[in-house]
Amino acid sequence: MALPDNAKEMIVEELTKKSKTKTKFYFNDLSKMFPEESPRAVKKLVNEMVSEGTLEYWSSGSTTMYGLKGMGDLG
Amino acid sequence: MAFVSSGYNPDKPMENRITDIGPRHFEEFYPPVIKANKGKWLYHEILEPGVLVHVSETGDEVYTVRVGGARLMSITHIREMCDIADKHCGGYLRFTTRNNVEFMVDSKDKVEALKQDLASRKFPGGSYKFPIGGTGAGVTNIVHTQGWVHCHTPATDASGPVKATMDALFKDFQDMRLPAQLRISLACCLNMCGAVHCSDIAILGFHRKPPMIDHEYVSKNCEIPLAVAACPTSAIKPSKQVLADGTEVKSVAVNNDRCMYCGNCYTMCPSMPLADTEGDGIVIMVGGKVSNRISPPKFSKVVVSFLPNEAPRWKSTTDTISRIVEAYANDARKYERVGDWAERIGWERFFDKCELEFTHHLIDDFRDHAYYTWRQTTQFKF
Amino acid sequence: MAKHETPMLDELESGPWPSFVSDMKQEAEARAKNVNNVEYQIPVDVVDDLLGVLELSYKHGRTHWKHGGIVGVFGYGGGVIGRYCDQPQEFPGVAHFHTVRVAQPAGKYYTSEYLRQIMDVWDLRGSGLTNMHGSTGDIVLLGTRTEQLEEIFYDLTHKYNTDLGGSGSNLRTPADCLGTSRCEYSCYDTNALCHFLTNEFQDELHRPAFPYKFKFKFDGCPNCCVASLARSDMAFIGTWKDDIRIDQEAVQAYIGGEIPPNGGAHAGRDWGKFDIQKEVIDLCPTGCMWMDGNELKINNKECTRCMHCINAMPRALRIGEDTGCSILVGAKAPILDGQQMGSLLVPFVEVNPDNDYEAIINYIDKIWDWWMMEGKNRERLGETIRRLSFQKLLEACDMEADVRHVAYPRENPYIFWKEEEVPGGWDRDVKEFRKYHQR
Repeated sequence: MALPDNAKEMIVEELTKKSKTKTKFYFNDLSKMFPEESPRAVKKLVNEMVSEGTLEYWSSGSTTMYGLKGMGDLG
Repeated sequence: MAFVSSGYNPDKPMENRITDIGPRHFEEFYPPVIKANKGKWLYHEILEPGVLVHVSETGDEVYTVRVGGARLMSITHIREMCDIADKHCGGYLRFTTRNNVEFMVDSKDKVEALKQDLASRKFPGGSYKFPIGGTGAGVTNIVHTQGWVHCHTPATDASGPVKATMDALFKDFQDMRLPAQLRISLACCLNMCGAVHCSDIAILGFHRKPPMIDHEYVSKNCEIPLAVAACPTSAIKPSKQVLADGTEVKSVAVNNDRCMYCGNCYTMCPSMPLADTEGDGIVIMVGGKVSNRISPPKFSKVVVSFLPNEAPRWKSTTDTISRIVEAYANDARKYERVGDWAERIGWERFFDKCELEFTHHLIDDFRDHAYYTWRQTTQFKF
Repeated sequence: MAKHETPMLDELESGPWPSFVSDMKQEAEARAKNVNNVEYQIPVDVVDDLLGVLELSYKHGRTHWKHGGIVGVFGYGGGVIGRYCDQPQEFPGVAHFHTVRVAQPAGKYYTSEYLRQIMDVWDLRGSGLTNMHGSTGDIVLLGTRTEQLEEIFYDLTHKYNTDLGGSGSNLRTPADCLGTSRCEYSCYDTNALCHFLTNEFQDELHRPAFPYKFKFKFDGCPNCCVASLARSDMAFIGTWKDDIRIDQEAVQAYIGGEIPPNGGAHAGRDWGKFDIQKEVIDLCPTGCMWMDGNELKINNKECTRCMHCINAMPRALRIGEDTGCSILVGAKAPILDGQQMGSLLVPFVEVNPDNDYEAIINYIDKIWDWWMMEGKNRERLGETIRRLSFQKLLEACDMEADVRHVAYPRENPYIFWKEEEVPGGWDRDVKEFRKYHQR
């Protein structure tokens, strides 16, 4: 199984669509977009998106969430 | 103050970046006698409270002097420890899981000078900087969380109640008169980032009021779906509210009867604060343990449902704990932990002997587990 | 002259236990004097302001901290906890007061040289206050400003070969007891296993993608000094398979009162003469010990390795030599569905550094794959197991059920049979049935 070529675009699109009500997402919300793929493969992808500056982390200290960089009240 | 760069270039964060290197290797930090005898230790003995000897099959010995410490430590204080380690221990020291500090020397003739040096150092207020103790059948250091020093959801302070409790039990830190070791822990809210649920005595901060809602700011400062999802008991719903000036705003409503006062909503939504002077205080739990010795590990049980936050010295809390410790010291058998003792004499006797009141708050009513805690036998004591 | 009056905190300076208030004051004073001419990168009066805001909390009975979503340095999803003061005008020195978690060395051994280096970083770039250590085990550097985070990380990694610890939904900084380094009870080298796994799983530690936090803790023996079975999702607890080693001469020395029992732990009170029958044999939970004349006998097959006899007579009894560890899974503090103790999953696994702990890593991989797939948001491993069943965990780990997995067998008969376990399966011919059973 491989992630679709446009997986990154799919994530950006999905998060943009939902950004009116919500800007922070659990990892599960992202991995469920690719139900055929192992979560550890999706993890690799979203972490790439963090290093590229597309996504950023938000943390409550105990739980971590992802969001599009600069969206909402992150940080 | 001028900015001092480490060499990091904010325009090129990935340049020369070093990541994923983990901690330093432990072998760099072993004192020579530890390195030489690792895996070869034959036995140990506590020579006096706070002083241990470990004897190796090579004939080597390591003498350890254990001292208590406030977990909140300044760099000045840690540098002083380093000076002591340099002077007596070849520049080595270690910390224990329970925030004690251990100074090790490789021969008995070095122990006395080390002990005297440690015991002689005091803060200007009169407290010991490095009290020797915390071994064997006594009270050792309290593990604890951040409290009002740094946390956003605490229901009590941590460092203050710990200081007050250790002052009250200080004799037992430097003595070994108890039937077994007694482990005390403190967590400043029910989320228990310091897991205290298996301690002989647990001091737990607890909120008793649902969050307030700053309706005007909820939709400005929070993402409502996240606040709703944060609630473990599904007590929060989105709702429309009308402010005093007639404006309608998006906000949330809390079903107060379902709220368990965890503060998770406040973490996600700063417009839902729950701290309260009268509402917040301390729960006392007893009888837990993590060791598999004799009896299996046990959870602590709630024996005091609420004590007020009496800053700065939390007198009701320290009095209650002292009473439990004395009752245990007087009544338990050798090797019995607090929980083993309470189970042997029965909880009805435990409440008598510790002069604690049993109230309806102490009967479990939280989810499935509750039923298993009720008494399903005709065996009880009058 | 103190910046803020702190009459309530001042009351915590008396009494014998080390006063954190005195220590904070000492640090405030040291910063004000600055004898080493440090170019402080955060306000010089940060500790004064922390004392001030803490005094206010003592007065109000409420905290004055707000949460902040900062997570760490670029590319990391944890290691920093963001904090802001809710009275920044009055206490500007602590307006921003973030915590940095730093990976501690296994066993928490230090050289003074290394500790001083870390303290120098924190003198320059932080508040000068620490926790040694946090509950999970990290070195906790308490209080700095956002613009210092990358600088601190750069100093730590470049100058001192040290990384950040974990926070958030990831592998938290693993922690261990001191193990074989100074304890005769330890059944394996906890320092080595803790260090190896910490490095093996740096990605899981720094880049969160778990449903919630995940903790490893390493206890060398069933005494469990780091409380692994109460607070870690995977607890690695040393144990042994063969016989307890007995030195009969030393047994006699204990009986004769020449050696104090329990390593001298009860010396603070006169408990009377040591009685091996009462204090050891009768307290053995399995009743597998007895005296045969002057010889202590143990039926090792029945021993459950509770450690009592070994703790009571450490010079006479020693752990066996065929050692390894048990793995217990799913422990957690009460939030949310109630507290859980670790449940025994792997009774015995070898701890073998020569093959890079292959057997242990195999279990970790399987458990993570399963939990990442099945775990709900903010659900600890123990809760996932409870929701889906222990059987599902066994399947995920390719393991057979073993009576050691239970305290006792189930008390209800409501077994969910799998179709393939019942001859003929679920599909049946109702017409054939009706030939013999009228409607």
